[in-house]
Amino acid sequence: MDDGRPIFLQIAEGLESQILDGSLPVDSQVPSINALAQFHRINPATALKGVNLLVDVGLLVKRRGIGMFVAEGARETLLAQRRAEFQKLYVAPLVQQAKALGLSTQEVQDMTSKEMDR
Amino acid sequence: MTATIELPGAATAPAPTRRAWNVVRMHVSNPFPTLVVPWLITAVIFGLTLAIELMVVRAAGGVDNLEPDAFQYNGGITWIAVFMLVTAVQAMNLTFRFALGFSVTRRDFYLGSSVYFVLLALFYSTGITVMAGVEQATDGWGIGAAFFAPWGLVSQPLPVIWAACLMALLLFFFLGVAASTLWVRWKAYGLYAFFVAAAVLVVGVAWGITATNSWGALGDYLVSHSLLVIAAWSLPVTLACAGIGYLFLRRATPRA
Amino acid sequence: MTAIIEVEGLTKRFGKVTAVDDVSFSLDEGGIHGLLGRNGAGKTTVMQLLTGQDFATRGALRVFGESPVENAHVLSRVCFIKESQAYPDGFKAKHVLKSAPWFFHNWDQSFAERLVADFGAPLDRPMKKLSRGQRSAIGVIVGLASRAELTFFDEPYAGLDAVARHRFYDHLLADYAEHPRTIVLSTHLIDEAANLLQRVLVIDDGKLVIDADADELRASATTLAGKASDVNAFAAGRDVLDRSQLGGLATVTVAGLTHSDRAAAASAGLEASAVSLQELIVRRTGGAPAPQEDVA
Repeated sequence: MDDGRPIFLQIAEGLESQILDGSLPVDSQVPSINALAQFHRINPATALKGVNLLVDVGLLVKRRGIGMFVAEGARETLLAQRRAEFQKLYVAPLVQQAKALGLSTQEVQDMTSKEMDR
Repeated sequence: MTATIELPGAATAPAPTRRAWNVVRMHVSNPFPTLVVPWLITAVIFGLTLAIELMVVRAAGGVDNLEPDAFQYNGGITWIAVFMLVTAVQAMNLTFRFALGFSVTRRDFYLGSSVYFVLLALFYSTGITVMAGVEQATDGWGIGAAFFAPWGLVSQPLPVIWAACLMALLLFFFLGVAASTLWVRWKAYGLYAFFVAAAVLVVGVAWGITATNSWGALGDYLVSHSLLVIAAWSLPVTLACAGIGYLFLRRATPRA
Repeated sequence: MTAIIEVEGLTKRFGKVTAVDDVSFSLDEGGIHGLLGRNGAGKTTVMQLLTGQDFATRGALRVFGESPVENAHVLSRVCFIKESQAYPDGFKAKHVLKSAPWFFHNWDQSFAERLVADFGAPLDRPMKKLSRGQRSAIGVIVGLASRAELTFFDEPYAGLDAVARHRFYDHLLADYAEHPRTIVLSTHLIDEAANLLQRVLVIDDGKLVIDADADELRASATTLAGKASDVNAFAAGRDVLDRSQLGGLATVTVAGLTHSDRAAAASAGLEASAVSLQELIVRRTGGAPAPQEDVA
């Protein structure tokens, strides 16, 4: 757990990454609050907050008495969300940095194509 | 999401008698120093006393060459009273702080500790009486020695020895309790105050007797009443000390 | 949620010294909470008052809804583990563990045995001959195995090395998960325990200066770094908790940034980073002198 962002956000983001990369497929069970808390050495209430973030946006569903499961279409929802943010989060800073270095639009595009083809 | 937390054993505390008894068990959980060591020390003192007396017998050339009560005036057994005092002081100090740390109330602690002291006093007075019985039966270990029932107890019946012993031990226990609770509350000043108060009391009583010319009456009383009755006068003192002890322990804290 | 501890205007004076000064708070049942502050701030005194070991000078105090003083019904549900615990002369760790079940009715003997093995606590040596760390280990074992509904740990790891401390945290979380209860942890090693805490109560000089949720507290301040001129421009008129400058670069810690504030900071080219709980608390408890306003 680094100091960068609130811990419950880190928990949520960690679970999101796992859903995105497929290690938590649809209908699989998410580790329990207590297991998360013990693993990350954090207060269970914090772990709960992080998990609830995902429950609130419908990425996880709670099954009474059993646990938390990845919802239908979670991966797709996340992909769409991340795609929408992609420009703001990654492209804009990249362009800003490119401008600071004096790179032209063509140079940036060439570099991008080279990376995509790799 | 409201989490209902199931807390196990949310019942109330066990009954007062059980709680006091647990304090007794706590005092006894390390039995060696208080139940075994004193007997060992007593055995050593007894052994030494007997050895010296045997040497005297040897030097005198036989028991018949000695005065009949030659070995009756020794105080080796009285060390037990000091032991009682020290045990009480330690209990009221260290064990008290330990008990507070184990969530015991002062009242339960005092009650349990008092029961413990009474039981200890019974234990030792019974043991001493048994040894005194053997002593009397063997005619003073064959040499007229009186270690376990010396002085005025030499020819007393066993029940009297037992009762006198018990009362003396209880007195010293609760004297220790009173002194140490004063120490726990007020440290050195408390102890000084205790001894000064005791001295004042003794002098005061002596002065009172002198002023009313009652020394003669006192002497008559002592002569005409049995040892047991005289010893029983220690009981009010014991009870007073017990009361003082509780009064001051009630406001004692582990730090102070 | 019912309040397990309710404190109103709690004050404790030792002669001329006011150790606890008009402290008021209430703590709900359940959770692992922190009672933090510098050495001598009054944390231990507060806990001694809450467990009836000392008597308040003034104020109201309720544990499980009743006054804890000389109250066996309340105290039997409480366990207070402190560093300065006294033991009867000649008592060994095994005697402590033998007598513990009589006083803590939720005591788990097998759990205690596992903890003894895990911490490597010496059972057959007199308590007074144990090192500080070993005494702490015994204290921690009793505190955890007691499973008391309300458990106080006062600087429980004095003398414990980092490995043992992390063992304590792991056991604490694991056992708390299986047997939820209310745990109040007092320490001056804030950063280590920070992630474990739900609610944070900070005592400074006898007064309660912070009473907040740990996450909210962490979110209450941000450190911004960048070119000195940009930083100072942004910080003007804001609640500045700390400021430092080296050449043309500066960092400033400000309280209460809103979402739009953060966006403004980002576009001003400032880099934001979180403030650790320890830093926040150190600032608020007179750890550093108040920053002077920059003339620039």
